[in-house]
Amino acid sequence: METPALKTKGRSRFFAGLASTDHRAVARLYFFLSLLAVVLGILLSLLMRFHLVFPQAQVGWFAKLWPIGAEGGVMTPELYLSILTLHGTIMVFFVLTLAPLNAFGNLVLPEQIGAKQMAFPRLNLLSFWIAAASFAILLASFMGADGGPLSGWTAYAPLSVVGAIAGPGEGLGQTLWFFSIAAFSVSSLLTAINIIATVIDLRGPGMTLMRMPLTCWNWFVTAILSLLAFPVLLAAGALILLDRLGGTSFFVPAGLLVGDQTIQHSGGSPLLWQHLFWFFGHPEVYIAILPGMGIVSHLIANFSRKPIFGYKAMVWASISIAFLGLLVWGHHMFISGLNPYSAIAFSLLTMTIGVPSALKTLNWIATAWGGSLRFTTAMLFALGFVSVFVTGGLSGLFLGQPQLDAYFHDTYFVVAHFHLVMGIAALFGVFAGTFYWFPLMFGRMLDERLGKLHFYLTFIGAYATFLPMHFAGFAGNPRRYSDFTTFDFLAPSMPLQRWITHSAFCLAAVQLIFLWNLFRSLRRGATAPANPWEATSLEWSESESPVVRGPYEYSLPGEARDFLMQNEESRGY
Amino acid sequence: MPRTLTQSNIGGPPPTLPEFPPGGGGGDDRDRPDRGGSRAASITGIIVLMCASSMTFAAFVSAMVVRRGLNNDWHALGLPRILYWNTAILILSSIAIDTGRRLLRRGKRVAFNWFWTVGTLLGSGFLAGQVIAWKQLGERGFYMAGNPSSAFFYVLTWAHAAHVIGALGAVMYVEYCALRYQLGPSRRTMVDVSAIFWHFLDVLWLGIMGLFVFWA
Repeated sequence: METPALKTKGRSRFFAGLASTDHRAVARLYFFLSLLAVVLGILLSLLMRFHLVFPQAQVGWFAKLWPIGAEGGVMTPELYLSILTLHGTIMVFFVLTLAPLNAFGNLVLPEQIGAKQMAFPRLNLLSFWIAAASFAILLASFMGADGGPLSGWTAYAPLSVVGAIAGPGEGLGQTLWFFSIAAFSVSSLLTAINIIATVIDLRGPGMTLMRMPLTCWNWFVTAILSLLAFPVLLAAGALILLDRLGGTSFFVPAGLLVGDQTIQHSGGSPLLWQHLFWFFGHPEVYIAILPGMGIVSHLIANFSRKPIFGYKAMVWASISIAFLGLLVWGHHMFISGLNPYSAIAFSLLTMTIGVPSALKTLNWIATAWGGSLRFTTAMLFALGFVSVFVTGGLSGLFLGQPQLDAYFHDTYFVVAHFHLVMGIAALFGVFAGTFYWFPLMFGRMLDERLGKLHFYLTFIGAYATFLPMHFAGFAGNPRRYSDFTTFDFLAPSMPLQRWITHSAFCLAAVQLIFLWNLFRSLRRGATAPANPWEATSLEWSESESPVVRGPYEYSLPGEARDFLMQNEESRGY
Repeated sequence: MPRTLTQSNIGGPPPTLPEFPPGGGGGDDRDRPDRGGSRAASITGIIVLMCASSMTFAAFVSAMVVRRGLNNDWHALGLPRILYWNTAILILSSIAIDTGRRLLRRGKRVAFNWFWTVGTLLGSGFLAGQVIAWKQLGERGFYMAGNPSSAFFYVLTWAHAAHVIGALGAVMYVEYCALRYQLGPSRRTMVDVSAIFWHFLDVLWLGIMGLFVFWA
């Protein structure tokens, strides 16, 4: 089928795109910022994995990079923790939040609902630049003379509050970290406002809410979740900064002794920080994963050439997941001294999330079932998403129970759980989206052969890396420790840890295939046809006719083709 | 927008929205293709922004409730009297701004300018009054780093003042356009959106005052 080449706006003027308010240009900026972030995040994880199995290794360039943190080339536990903090922060905020929601949401959402732009294009560009500034501040927090902050992406008080006395990087580094997160919250809020207003007010003629593709529904629900969660992080960040800089006592208890010094604060509560943080932190998990769910729903329907199974159920499942996601923050605090009665309530609510999640999974399988499957790279990543989401989700059922969590909470079981269900699953959603919408972003196609090779190796690598962590968790292998070799009881798990490290390095190496494919295809990829995936949604449509049908009308009997675009009149009947 | 002002283009109601297509949204702004944005989107945007601000304040207040219950180190704050005057000034500014907005819909342009100017001045007066209140509290020994009640008072009033400064920026921009007779129908959305947010700051302030008068 001969189709005209897709027109992309401003493709040849990439640098002009730095100040462009066009939604595709902003999407590309987010995409490349996330790409930079994920490369950095992966490199940091490799440093951690290397250190875990060779804790005494002397590496010359460690000493050059961190003269204090790695004196003599050996990484100190504090440096390990600061790398852990930066890895977590980068991955959660700048990869899992920015890529699925901001990059793809900006790229696709306005077009899929028949709008020409986001509701507030200048605000949109401003959000990006605030996010970019936030990223720069985060990196600066790591460059401090005394190293980076140590308190993890959750920045638990009092470690994150008491200042330089708590360790290197806890001075200026931690302060900058909080400023970075506050800026990121503002950026996310502005994006959420933009997406919500766009969906509510800029839908094109005929695009009813129940005709929106599931991608748009999920970006919409995610934006609402961002709107409710990020202000709490912003408020908590403001309070903790006042504790650090203004001498207040919101999160630091009275009579706290650090080293041999009394901390001059009185009466605050570290638990209060945990409540505020996780009120944001748990919805953040869904902010990361819901857009992926939308992308996967959209792609599985397309590449199965079947209508999505249970469209309305999928919409309501997303809404329920988001709603319940706001009520379960306490399951991160089962071992923080929470009242056992509240633990039961949080546990029950947590289990309830399994219902809409299972519904989604079953609907994905039912959609693919009996379809004329097209195993493109995007489809493979979508199916991979379902696999890792189920695997990671099942371990969530264990962790949602206070009695089991008491054992698992500080072990590698949790590391395995959240990396699979939130990290890898969301990244698979991003990969799927990248392969699917690359033509929309750059007018060219990614190489499918390299893509499939990348998928299979990544899929195997992800399981090889994160599945064994469950067993390490069963064995009581604690997380956040920088060195297992000094504990006798951990000696038996060292072969497993070595395996994980080797897998992680392979998994990271495999990503070079993706980078090669990406940058090669930017210049040399095949020119994209107008509707490369024979999709029904409006981003591939060159007509501006009003929408007359739902988003997943595939394999309609009596039609000349096996799909009808949303704004296309039936020709067959 | 026509530069020459006539009675027909300086007054009147805000532009009507295009007819909603069956079941759909407002669609693109058909008269301004490729610009994005529309009156309806601006109103939605400001409502959503108010939700975000409300969540921020809800987080502060919930932290305050928990913090107060944690220890017996909470000492009630004697509010400076000027805060009551500030409350009255803020409410009056809101009334002035809304009266102006209503007058503008009826085409009474000069009266709008007067009321909006009064509203802007009163709004600035509120901020000045807040600065005096903080100073008075400081003179009485209530600092940020002191008792948790004063810490929360400063947090909430600073956060509110930050909102007021932002809103004053918008209100002053409307004022600037109004005084230059550039407030044609296409800029009515700006007037309405600023007024809505200004009223929201009233409600927020009344909530904060209520909290400290009756509870903290």
